[in-house]
Amino acid sequence: MGASDLFAALAINPAVILSIGAALIALVPNAQAQLRRPLMLAVVAISAFQLTRLGLGTWGDLVIFGEPVTMLRIDPLARMFAVVFHIAAALLIIYGWHVRDRAQDFATLAYPAAALGGVTSGDLVTLFVWWEVAAITSVFLIWAPGTRSTFLSGMRYLMIQVFSGTLLLAGVVLTYRETGSLAFNEIGLTDETGAIKASGLAMFVAFGVKAAFPLLHNWVQDAYPKSTLTGTIVLSIFTTKLAVASLARGFAAEPALIYIGAVMTIFPIFFALIENDLRKVLCYSINNQVGFMVCAIGFGTINGAAGYAFGNIIFEGLLMMALGAAVFRTGTSMATELGGLYRTMPLTMGLCIVGALSISAFPGTLGFVAKGLIIDAAAESHNLWIWLVLLFASAGVLEHAGIKIPFFTFFAHDSGKRPQEAPTHMLIAMGLAAFLCIFFGVQPQYLYALMPEPEALADYHSYTPYHVIEQLQLLVWATIAFGVLKVMKWYPAEIPSTNLDTDWFYRIPGRGLLFWAVDATKAVWSIAWEGMRVRFNDAMARIYAVHGPEGQLARAWPIGFMALSVAATLALALVFALAV
Amino acid sequence: MIIADQLPVLPIITPLALAPFTLLMPNGRAAHLWAMAVTGLSFLFCAMLLAQVAEVGVISYQLGDWAPPLGIEYRVDLANALVMLLISGVAALVAPFSYESIRTEIDDRQLPMFYTAFQICMLGLLGVVVTGDAFNVFVFLEISSLSTYALVALGGRLDRRALTASYNYLVMGTLGATFFVIGLGLIYQATGTLNMADIRAQLEGSPSNSMVEASFAFIVVGMGLKAAAFPMHLWMPNAYTYAPSAVSAFIAAASTKAAVYVLIRFTFTVFGTDFEFIQAMMTYILTTVALAGMFFGSLVAVFQSSVKRMLAYSSVGQIGYMLLGLSFGTEAGVQASLIHLFNHGLMKAALFMSVACVMLRLGVHDCAGFHGLTKRMPFTAAAFIFAGLSLIGVPLTVGFVSKWYLLQAAFEVGRAWAGFLIVASSLIAVVYVGRVVELILLRAPPEEGPLSADVNGEPVREAPLSMLIPMWLLVAANVYFGLRTDVTAGLAGRAASALVGGGQ
Repeated sequence: MGASDLFAALAINPAVILSIGAALIALVPNAQAQLRRPLMLAVVAISAFQLTRLGLGTWGDLVIFGEPVTMLRIDPLARMFAVVFHIAAALLIIYGWHVRDRAQDFATLAYPAAALGGVTSGDLVTLFVWWEVAAITSVFLIWAPGTRSTFLSGMRYLMIQVFSGTLLLAGVVLTYRETGSLAFNEIGLTDETGAIKASGLAMFVAFGVKAAFPLLHNWVQDAYPKSTLTGTIVLSIFTTKLAVASLARGFAAEPALIYIGAVMTIFPIFFALIENDLRKVLCYSINNQVGFMVCAIGFGTINGAAGYAFGNIIFEGLLMMALGAAVFRTGTSMATELGGLYRTMPLTMGLCIVGALSISAFPGTLGFVAKGLIIDAAAESHNLWIWLVLLFASAGVLEHAGIKIPFFTFFAHDSGKRPQEAPTHMLIAMGLAAFLCIFFGVQPQYLYALMPEPEALADYHSYTPYHVIEQLQLLVWATIAFGVLKVMKWYPAEIPSTNLDTDWFYRIPGRGLLFWAVDATKAVWSIAWEGMRVRFNDAMARIYAVHGPEGQLARAWPIGFMALSVAATLALALVFALAV
Repeated sequence: MIIADQLPVLPIITPLALAPFTLLMPNGRAAHLWAMAVTGLSFLFCAMLLAQVAEVGVISYQLGDWAPPLGIEYRVDLANALVMLLISGVAALVAPFSYESIRTEIDDRQLPMFYTAFQICMLGLLGVVVTGDAFNVFVFLEISSLSTYALVALGGRLDRRALTASYNYLVMGTLGATFFVIGLGLIYQATGTLNMADIRAQLEGSPSNSMVEASFAFIVVGMGLKAAAFPMHLWMPNAYTYAPSAVSAFIAAASTKAAVYVLIRFTFTVFGTDFEFIQAMMTYILTTVALAGMFFGSLVAVFQSSVKRMLAYSSVGQIGYMLLGLSFGTEAGVQASLIHLFNHGLMKAALFMSVACVMLRLGVHDCAGFHGLTKRMPFTAAAFIFAGLSLIGVPLTVGFVSKWYLLQAAFEVGRAWAGFLIVASSLIAVVYVGRVVELILLRAPPEEGPLSADVNGEPVREAPLSMLIPMWLLVAANVYFGLRTDVTAGLAGRAASALVGGGQ
């Protein structure tokens, strides 16, 4: 194969188009910074056009150093994620229209590009490359505020993401050794005999870190809220959804995912209920929402997982944008310092409530359509406990995301703040997201048309009386519970506090252990380094002695020596020519 | 059509007939314009020739209608058409480029002589490549070499060391040519013919004998010397360093390439790889020489203080890549070798041209002249950086295409270790190019001292357009052929299959 095939394969890839666009936009000088956002929108439009033009299929089937790879595969699963990534990227660019920061502008395009490249990769090597690019481009968003705490947080984030990438690489190598192929298809955690495969496990944990499985989740709450207003929203969308798409492709119907997902849906709720920082509440909500998707993958309903990811990106994004608008105007995201903003920000309030209804799966919204598939699959699996857990978690979503966010931001006690309405570009982005929430809620067939397994949806209907009544009961009772808790003053009051998550264990006792390990490593390293340094210097001195300007190889030799070297070569050549 | 029939001979006959008139030109300007016209015409004919060969296949042209093997035959296939295009193309770009630069480096009275020698040199190199007659190769080789010695010696006005460099080159070049002609004598004894195709026909199927074996050894060493293969490169760094800047740009891009081409031609279509001793020579001698050149050449380049000298040593390494591709003995290897031969001509010419621009304004080719070049000569600096990236092998440049095919060829013959060594030696290229790029981009231009102003004591200006345009055409070619890889790779692939497989 030739290099031209490689370039051709790269040139048609929407993810590459976005990446190149990001690089070019980073070159726009700061004096013309206002040009960047319109250009970014144009790049997204070009990439979206390319995506529709390509349709379904595979491209870039190349043989690189003897191994077949597929650099671009758009099947229905990849397409669903690709479509929603484009929608999200466009909305976020509009939402951040006021941003004039080179690093953020670059990352807002390059990082979605990497996630897009990941979901559309047809082989494991391509996946690995995009996996790492996503880690590296996204860290710019965490570093964007430029303080020491965000820097450290970004480094921690990067460490964990690179750890995930390393595990993935190990998994790729092991898979290649087992199967002799680099194709990215069903991986599976166990082999035919039921024993756990090392390759499967490495990939599973690699995906799990990015999907923020329980106990691997702390980086989300650590890093995401520290980014800028718009940065947090960008971050919240892509990394975890890339992991969901990869899990759906590699580990569909893996029973372990049901339980992992169930735990993921439950535990963040408690943290979210007592958390005072509303941005952190939404970050916990990411875990909970991804939990539903992981559960759906475990049940084997890829439609449910992909559909919920699609919906979640839009309505969770809407909630985050609405909260972000409030923070943009007031400068705080603490529940204790917000409240009563509905007086001066009525439009934002209204849009926030659309998002809240949607995330709570209120009939007539995107959330209802998307979540129905998962709850249905849970019921059909005849696993009562899991079904109950998911119902409870759904109620919990209503509590912390559906009610807590709008209530404490726009109502609750009057904070006395009278900020302006959100800026127009934010209203446009939120309005579009809200429109999509309702549009897909009312016309679910358009969502179904994108689903990876349309045949499974043949006789499925969202709006059966059973589904609607079940969901309404849930919503009514959960709302009543909130009311009762509030009236009885049992609801956790807004207290300015810092809540400890499980990461306390590795931050405090773990830190001691870590520092001991660091000191030990440092000691060993300094001994080794000293030895290596001496060796290296010796080697360099020897290279310099031979190759340096006065060295034997670089000197201007007398002509006799030149002739001698030629004669020696001739002698050698004659020996080989005549002796063989 | 009459022109189409005579096309193989036109690139040779045009300079042969017209170059001597350059001596009669009244001044340097007229000689320069004359040389531009002649080299331009040659380039045009070479391009037409390549187009024709690509369409109809091998063209055999009988000089004076004497049929080979008695008469001299010009035999053009894609391999030599491609090399001819490179040689005449670089000459056609160096001719307009040279005037401003050479005027400051040699005596005005010598300008007509310089342009005569320049055209003769190009003529000789084209002749070496075009001919299908083994002895004719020697004749043209001497024509080009003699004029090159004169061209290098012209640098003597600026730096007397050019005279010893030229003298050493003369001795060594003669030695190489002698070895080559001894090789030819032996093969003539063995086969009784000097026509390449006829030698091949005589050798085919016959058992090997020590005359043939010795002949090949002499030819490889003689041409290896002309190609500056390690360890026979010792004449080359000084010749490139002290020759006038424009001369360096031309001979670095063209003259060693002709020698590499002859090596490929003799190995595959004159002797043929069925001989066991040729396999052994390729495996043991050529591979060793190639690898040693790749590393020693590149490592020495790292420590040079003169940028011209650094580029010269880098050429030793780059010749190593070409010989490595050749030593694989496969179609893919020869294809990679031909691609790199063409591409390296493009990048080295651009690099030496940017050094010539610095030389014109600052009068030095030391690293010191490159400090903060972006602020003083932004276009020259950018050209150096682009061509340097190409030399390293960064994607979207021709250098990447070369390395790509070379790696593929290495993996194809199962020499993965050679692939790793290619990458490792490319990393050394990152160091020696990066070192100069760092000076260009990050250092401030000198505030005081002789380098704070140009040679006339005025603020440093960008090089004149007559130099910038040819240089940037080459940089553009570096990028264009890096993107349109099908052009070079496709032609080189077809040429290689003809050379190695024997069929077109």
